[in-house]
Parts: sequence; structure tokens; C-alpha cells
Amino acid sequence: MGMIGRAGDHEWSQRRLSHYVEGELRPRARRRLTRHARGCVDCGRGIRAMRALVYALQGLDGLAGVRAPATIFDRVRLAGPGGSASPLNT
Amino acid sequence: MMAGPDGHVPDSAETEASLLARAQAGDVAAFGRLSGAYADRLYMLLVRLLGDRAEAEDVAQEVMLRAWRGITRFRGQSSYFTWLYRIAVNEANRALDKRARRPAGVSIGAPELELPAAPEEEPSRQAENSELRRALNQALAGLPPPLRTAIVLRDVEGLSTREAAEIAGVGQAAFKSRLHQARLRVRAAVGDEALVSSGG
Repeated sequence: MGMIGRAGDHEWSQRRLSHYVEGELRPRARRRLTRHARGCVDCGRGIRAMRALVYALQGLDGLAGVRAPATIFDRVRLAGPGGSASPLNT
Repeated sequence: MMAGPDGHVPDSAETEASLLARAQAGDVAAFGRLSGAYADRLYMLLVRLLGDRAEAEDVAQEVMLRAWRGITRFRGQSSYFTWLYRIAVNEANRALDKRARRPAGVSIGAPELELPAAPEEEPSRQAENSELRRALNQALAGLPPPLRTAIVLRDVEGLSTREAAEIAGVGQAAFKSRLHQARLRVRAAVGDEALVSSGG
């Protein structure tokens, strides 16, 4: 790993990779991390990995034929409009 | 979109506001049409949080019942979707608490989370992505519930931080902290090489 810049930049950067990818760092902190990552193989790879992770997680969001079971309203049906669970009776 | 308890599929002319008003007046069919619009997504969320389809089905029924029982208390301070999801997360947490009190040996069941690969992917890419999906699902299943909820709501479901924090029932700062911790753990579990080579 390259330790260019202030002492402690590496640990500091590693703890903020997710914030960096999320765009949550203030401009000064963002510049600090960007500057460090240019000279640090670990942090450069960390940024790419964190971006890839978020991208891959977004790709998990396929309903891909998964449908709610037909039973999902069974308890509501049992409660019914006049049942003890009716909002009219609570 | 699925049919409600009366088997009726909603038509687009029925607005959420009118369905909500009728549901709050005790119209169970209107409640079904209102909530049925979110049923698939809600069920999928529960599968992800619980890692078990049978348990997710049971909890989904309970979520709908609790929503029906509490519908008159819904004041529109958040969207109906947010309110329903909040009930779902609470019920999932309750189920996970119950599970934690059971004797050891009951696993999260990550294989339940497998979803088919997108059909347009090339076979080699499908295999790679399938491997990555498996690793991601296992890593998600291994997270403590509050961290899993945060990363599923924000990254998998794609909700805004504000909305996801509201559903999780915590402030935005606490939510972000959970999200970042969750990402660090999942990244460590899956490995940088697998992530970077996935082309994301």
C-alpha cells in the first residue's frame, strides 16, 4: 500500500470507502480520500470493490417471477369486515 | 400486482387515496386492492430478511392482518408503502427474535434466496453472476438483522436513505452507520476479487 499524504490516511480512508461511494463525504474529505487512493493500491481497489458491491446488490432486486403467495390475505379474510380484527372494531 | 382478498384486481382509476379512505371505513376489499399492489415486493423483502419462504409467507399474512387492524391509525404522515414496509420489518424482526430463542441449529437458509439469472445473460456471465449472487446472498444471510435490514432496504430495494431509515425505525445517521458496517462486512465476506471481476 502506498502511504502518500498524511500519516493515518490509509486507515482513515478504509473506514470511509462506503461513504465515498455513497457521495456522503464533504468536499475536503472527498479530496483527501481521492488523493490518497491515487497512490494506494488497497484503497483504489477498495473503491472499485465497494462500487461493484453496490452495483451487484442492486442487481439482486429482481422479483424474477417471485410472487406473493395467494394466502397472503388469508388472515384478513378470516377477520373479515365484521370480524374482531376489523378496523371498525378496534 | 395481485388480487386482493376478494379476488379483485385493482383498476388504475382507483387511486390510493380513495382505496385508503374506503379501507379505513372498513371496506376489506378496498384494503386488499390497496395492499395487494405491494404484496409481491413485500413478500420478496420478507424472503430476503428471513431467508425462508415458508416463514416469509407466514409473516406476510401477519403483516397484512396487522395492517388491516391498524389501518384506521394510519394518518398519512408517510406513504402507505412506507407504513406497510415498516410493519413488515417489525414483524420480520419479531420472527427473527423468536428464531433466536429456538434451540441452535436453525440456519438462515441462504439457498432460499436464490433467484434465476437474467435470461439475456451469456452462459459464462450467468455462471459468474450466479456464483456472485450466491456469495452475496450468503453474506447477507450472515449479517446481524439490523445490518441486513439496512443493506437490503437501501442497496437491494433501492430506497432512499430517508425512506429506508424511516422503515427501519431509526434516524438517518444511525441508519447510515448500519449501512456502512453492512457493506464492509459483505465486501469482506465476498472478497474484492469476486466483486471487481464481476464488472460492476
